[in-house]
Amino acid sequence: MKINQLLIAIFVGAQFAVAALADDAPTNSTEAAEIAALKQEIQKLDQKVSDLENQRQTEQATAVNPDKDQIQDLDQKVRILERERELDQDAAATTAKTQPKIVLGPNGFGFSSADSNFVATLHGLIQSDSRTFIDDGGGTLGKNTFLIRRARPIFTGTVFHDFDFNFTPDFGNTTVQIFDAYLNYHYNPELQLEAGKFKSPVGLEALQADTWTLFNERSIVTDLAPNRDIGVELHGDLFSGAVSYAAGIFNGAPDFNGTTVNQDVNDNRAFAGRFFFQPWKTSSVVALQGLGFGVGGSYEVDHGTNTDLTPGYRTDGQQNFFTYSSGVFADGTHWRISPQAYYYYGPLSLSAEYLISDQRVTKGGISADLQNTAWEISGGWVVTGENASYNGITPKHPFDIKKNQWGAWQVVARYADLNIDNAAFPIFATTGSASEAKAWSVGLNWYLNRDIRVNASFSRTTFTGGGGTTGLGPITSQPENVVFTRIQLAF
Amino acid sequence: MKTILKILLILSLAVSADAREVKLLNVSYDPTRELYTEYNAAFTKYWKAKTGDDIVVSQSHGGSGKQAQSVIAGLEADVVTLALSYDIDAISQQAKLLPANWQTRLPNNSTPYTSTIVFLVRKGNPKGIKDWDDLVKKGVTVVVPNPKTSGGARWAYLAAYAYALESYGHDDAKAKDFITKLYKNVPILDSGARGSTITFSQRGIGDVLLAWENEAHLTLKEFGADKFEIVTPPLSILAEPPVAVVDKNAKHHGTTEVATAYLNYLYSDEGQEIAAKNFYRPRNEAIAAKYAANFTQLKLVTIDQEFDGWTKAQQTHFADGGVFDQIFQPQN
Repeated sequence: MKINQLLIAIFVGAQFAVAALADDAPTNSTEAAEIAALKQEIQKLDQKVSDLENQRQTEQATAVNPDKDQIQDLDQKVRILERERELDQDAAATTAKTQPKIVLGPNGFGFSSADSNFVATLHGLIQSDSRTFIDDGGGTLGKNTFLIRRARPIFTGTVFHDFDFNFTPDFGNTTVQIFDAYLNYHYNPELQLEAGKFKSPVGLEALQADTWTLFNERSIVTDLAPNRDIGVELHGDLFSGAVSYAAGIFNGAPDFNGTTVNQDVNDNRAFAGRFFFQPWKTSSVVALQGLGFGVGGSYEVDHGTNTDLTPGYRTDGQQNFFTYSSGVFADGTHWRISPQAYYYYGPLSLSAEYLISDQRVTKGGISADLQNTAWEISGGWVVTGENASYNGITPKHPFDIKKNQWGAWQVVARYADLNIDNAAFPIFATTGSASEAKAWSVGLNWYLNRDIRVNASFSRTTFTGGGGTTGLGPITSQPENVVFTRIQLAF
Repeated sequence: MKTILKILLILSLAVSADAREVKLLNVSYDPTRELYTEYNAAFTKYWKAKTGDDIVVSQSHGGSGKQAQSVIAGLEADVVTLALSYDIDAISQQAKLLPANWQTRLPNNSTPYTSTIVFLVRKGNPKGIKDWDDLVKKGVTVVVPNPKTSGGARWAYLAAYAYALESYGHDDAKAKDFITKLYKNVPILDSGARGSTITFSQRGIGDVLLAWENEAHLTLKEFGADKFEIVTPPLSILAEPPVAVVDKNAKHHGTTEVATAYLNYLYSDEGQEIAAKNFYRPRNEAIAAKYAANFTQLKLVTIDQEFDGWTKAQQTHFADGGVFDQIFQPQN
């Protein structure tokens, strides 16, 4: 500011000086010389003013450029950083496309390749039970016990989108077994081909997953159904699941073979199939959406083997109440038929099944067609209001004490009856075998969350026939009363 | 007359009944999108007229090195049109998808067109960039892709190195020093030539882009000559991007005949015109003369002259631990 003021003062002063000098004409040579000198001074001052003005402008210009350069420099740096981030994101997205994915959640531990051609999931099932036989007076052979009822790592997956697999070994009870080992090609939901070892398509209760049965043990109806078998099966769901079908050819499994085998020991083959209808499954009639009914069955012809005979029909407490006597062979046709139905509506669940197992047996040249029959009806009510289903219950409010959430609670009840053909007695039946068993059960299931369940139940089985002190007599001579508990982890 | 017409109708129906659809996959390097869009349309029209068959050409573009690795890893290209012969050699050696002598199967060492590396600068050339020496000055920011993945980047690196060799009496130490200074001015490495073009032209980074000649012209076309200008250095490298049928894939797909015809057509007059229109230097001398105005004359050195071929150049400069790894330190 001061330099500006100085310049203006000099300039104005100079102008006045020039004007003053111009008005006064020189009178003599001395004055002329003085005037000339003054003019020169003024010109010098004028030049100095110009120089100072130029200098001031230059200084201002110089003061602006460093800021501009700095800003441009910073602008470039920011652009470079943004571009690097962009390229890193592109590279990460490209890398992600080739990286396998890992998932851990309530349905297990899963991993899949980036292109989803290989997907595998590890599930698990652990059932830690107790059985307590009460009021048996020491008469039954039932032992009070804690046991690991099932301990299964379950490997499932899909390869190349259309091929599903399942491998399930079991380490529970006292044996190690392969329960499931199969490959399923699903061309589409309507047409699938399964091969390997898996559940035979006959009994309704048998086909329900071990995780979701109402009670610790399936009812005595399932004593007549085949367990897992090895074979090939065509199956599918038609009309959006309103009709399900399964038809296959298998090695053939006896009635309730608790321990399954991995190969056949005879030339026999069994045919098994099932149709199941849920006509209102996708309808708007909510009350009927959960109604399903159908029929399963099997047929085979056995030739003088005892491996196709049941090792025994068991009570809920897993005690044999009927076995075939030594020397009995399956020798002829063995057919089964099982009409079955269930109904689920809100918290209500109902299930019913009737099963006939008709088998020709021979002992010592004497043959008979033995037709054993069984039926059961079971039901449950989820008192906390969740919907019941064939595939389990999901609590709306998983157990969490801090949040005052108590999971889902379900009361359950069942009645079952198994009748042995009278023609089995006395030749074909072990001493003390009962001709009929009737069992009723009540229980309470607590679903803490989708993965953990605790249940307690009581079962009472009474017998007709049997008794005595030999063979199965100690078991069948009085009712069996068992209290069950279970803690289950399934994921 | 009616009889003749009926016969012709029947014959044409017979031909069309036999017409089939053939699918080809062309795996190419980064900046050839526009070239092959135009070329594919021309070839499919030609082939349809010749045989009645419909051709569907799918394109894949990316850094030449990356593209070669994709084909080796299983991308089932029927033909590859990459930036340098070394990348196609890698496909032959590592995946055995085509024979080692693939380059002798088509004219001009299987390179139907050539190109070179030029400078693309901002309009007005504010940093006064005229030659390779200007790229090593302090305050000049150079944009160029990563020579580990991009064929164009390898050509650009070798062009700069060749300039240094020519300038410093083929003194490798001085040339290495020169290239070190140049890459000190490189703040960011895209994986391919197109990425670098985006960095320079759209993201506004850098003072100069070392670009394929065709890419530089395309950028001017797209963004306007009021934003950028091309500076052709007095010396650059003769880039020869080769083409080849991937024999095993073509045989597996049943496309050998069509794939061979597809590449042969690049040498036809129409193919050469399309190349020239897209700023690739055609091999056909008559067409090159016709489009001479598109291409500045400059001294072009070859990779054989300066570097004893691609194998030696790749090993010396771009292999792990090579000169590029020794001299390049990322900025920021």
